[in-house]
Amino acid sequence: MSIVPVPGPLARTSATVAGVAALALALAACGSKPGGGGGGSSSSSASSSSSSAAAGGATSSSSSAAAGGGFTACMVLDTGGIDDHSFNQTSWAGMTAARQQNPKISISYVPSQSANDYTPNLNAEVSKGCSTTVAVGGLMADAVKAVAKKNPSKHFAEVDAPSSGPNVYGMQFNTAQGAFLGGYLAAAYSKSGKVATWGGLAIPPVTIYMDGFWEGVQYYNKKNGKHVQVLGWNEKNQKGGSFSQSFTDKNKGKQISQTFVQQGADVLFPVAGGAGEGALSAAQAFGGKVVVMWVDTDGCVSEASYCKYILTSVTKNLSGAVQQYVTQAASGAFPTGNYLGTLANRGTGLASFHDFAGKVPQSLQSQLRQVGLGIATGKIKITSPNQPK
Amino acid sequence: MSTATGTRPPAAGDELVVHHQAAEPLLSTRRRLAGAAGLVVAGLVCILVFGLDANPGDASFQVALAGFGPKIPNVQLPGRPACFVLGALVIVLALLHAARGFSRRSMRWVIATAIACFAVSFLCWAATGTPGNPFTLLGLLQTTIAASSVPLVLGALGGIMCERSGVINVAIEGQLLVGAFMGAMVATMANNVAGTLAAAAAGGVLGALLAVFAVKYAVNQVVLGVVLNVLALGLTNFGYNALLQQNSSGLNNPAVLNPIKVPGLSQIPILGPVLFDQNWLVYLTYALIVAVHVWLFRTRWGLRTRAVGEHPRAADTVGINVARMRYRNVIIGGMIAGIGGAYLTIGYAGAFSGNISSGKGFIALAAVIFGRWSPLGAVGAALLFAFADGLQILLPIAGTPTNIPSAFWSMLPYVATVFAVAGLVGKVQAPAADGEPYVKS
Repeated sequence: MSIVPVPGPLARTSATVAGVAALALALAACGSKPGGGGGGSSSSSASSSSSSAAAGGATSSSSSAAAGGGFTACMVLDTGGIDDHSFNQTSWAGMTAARQQNPKISISYVPSQSANDYTPNLNAEVSKGCSTTVAVGGLMADAVKAVAKKNPSKHFAEVDAPSSGPNVYGMQFNTAQGAFLGGYLAAAYSKSGKVATWGGLAIPPVTIYMDGFWEGVQYYNKKNGKHVQVLGWNEKNQKGGSFSQSFTDKNKGKQISQTFVQQGADVLFPVAGGAGEGALSAAQAFGGKVVVMWVDTDGCVSEASYCKYILTSVTKNLSGAVQQYVTQAASGAFPTGNYLGTLANRGTGLASFHDFAGKVPQSLQSQLRQVGLGIATGKIKITSPNQPK
Repeated sequence: MSTATGTRPPAAGDELVVHHQAAEPLLSTRRRLAGAAGLVVAGLVCILVFGLDANPGDASFQVALAGFGPKIPNVQLPGRPACFVLGALVIVLALLHAARGFSRRSMRWVIATAIACFAVSFLCWAATGTPGNPFTLLGLLQTTIAASSVPLVLGALGGIMCERSGVINVAIEGQLLVGAFMGAMVATMANNVAGTLAAAAAGGVLGALLAVFAVKYAVNQVVLGVVLNVLALGLTNFGYNALLQQNSSGLNNPAVLNPIKVPGLSQIPILGPVLFDQNWLVYLTYALIVAVHVWLFRTRWGLRTRAVGEHPRAADTVGINVARMRYRNVIIGGMIAGIGGAYLTIGYAGAFSGNISSGKGFIALAAVIFGRWSPLGAVGAALLFAFADGLQILLPIAGTPTNIPSAFWSMLPYVATVFAVAGLVGKVQAPAADGEPYVKS
């Protein structure tokens, strides 16, 4: 603009374009990083002072930070965001729980707007001087591996992926076990003889749930001589299945759920984070003729307004695992290797029935306990190819 | 007329009768044979792929919703023979075309028939996948209308309002997004009518921004639209993080509109439950389709709008205020798209979440172009896309005779749109001054 004296409107034009573009970019940046760690419905306790302290702690190494009494645990979230009512939110709850237990731990998080943010976010956490960085989501595995390799003196932990180096702690969950119980329950609860499951993306942390659910239904059929059908997934055909191709697109989730109901399903098991809310919205639209089994967290807590449509939830104790890791790490002993959540160590399982407590007969509840025992003791073999090794 | 004034009026005896006969140009031989070859391939696919792969037995289509209204029996077609017959029909059309050639005008009907045959034999094939399980055709149509078409239709209508007056609107996506955001927030605080109005206002504000920069400052409109989309994404993400997530029960918990049955009309078999058992935003959409069509082709304002979009200088010389026409149209277009955004939240899914429009605005933009900048054409394109989208979800659930990876089905809407557009629409002509800023000289 300043080089050539353009008269009148053109000069104004380019200036305004630049202005709008800058404004737009600034706002977009605002959207992706809300003040480093302040926001989040469940995180109001993570005061901005703690995150600014973390930022001020700058370049000192993690061990010296720990020795100085301040332990900074940072979290890189996946695209669902802090209030996805699912794995991001629960992982963050583990951080807040650890902080409550030990107030010397300061915590912060950064959300990722897309897969392109993983590596920059991890690098930013490292250069911020975090004592440990917890990465949420199996999709981040490659990024964590690369960043951890470049920073061998730093500590990392990753949810939903195995350890990929001596300084990376892997936290995995054999959720097929919990989902197996869910499938058994769904098959027993269904009146139409059709139950349905659909996923966000066809990746192992998702399809493992669907495998377990499918196997649970098959086991129910075998034990009781019934023919309950599973729509949307078949363990024997890992390339098939219904997926919303998104963990956030609620409209798609509702559309898929409605299609299942039209096909006759009356129990829905969405494994799709925030997109799964579409199933709850569909259950509401069908006036409770259809029930939903929520995933990862207790849906009656995270989706309280929809509780009357939630039969139960297949849980994955992310918050417990994260809390345990952060607490141990803060005490100076960074855990290494892998954690595997199972039915036996309460890493996965069924949440309580809440509104449906009266509708699930005692006999069925005791059958579920028996099945759970069978899985924990290895009497019932789960064959899902997606189980963590 | 003016030349006739000088001459004497024709006497009864020497009246000259001129018979006009439209000479329908035939297609060139090469194009004719290429077209015929294409049809033969389609026919062979029907016979060899769908026909042979279909399971024996009937393809049954469910044309009533479970538990709704009068009980209508399923439509049964013998799966395999139907594919064979339909495929043969397409090939017969192809041979006729190769032998004597259809005119350009009738060719359109030939292609439409061929596509219909192809689609029906495809459905027959798919429906034989799980014997005893009817293909829920009516449910598919109902979700086509309810789930995906409304935002596309309203986004496209908003785009047409803009582009007919000569302003390219790439910002439909952003208008949907701000509409969805404001709709959810205001509907939670007040009620759904207020939410819809707020959504329209938000879309209108984004439209006004587009208009100011496009009309007053003559900014490149495509770049501007892209920037506005980024702005809308940034604004709504910021608002979502800073406001809605902090207090989701007080700000982001709208009640989803309930369907209202239109008395009488909703009893029509098949069409009734599909078209007239929806919520009022859908009915508003019907009204807006008619309104935009009438407004554009039957009113003075519409005529002026088209004039401004085709030849702004000519319009200016007869005293039409080009800038004012464009401002008004772009803002109203933005408001219509904003209502489409409201449908995403209060009309269908409920609470707002980041980037809830997820690309629907761009598909609406495609519908504008595929529909040749006409409201009814754009509605057709939007419905086609929405139907293919619903089909893409239904097919892996219903089960097809051969298992096909779900990732393959995800391509279906785009493939269907491209083929239908290539076959049916052909060359499209934008308004002549679309995207040209008008600077008075």
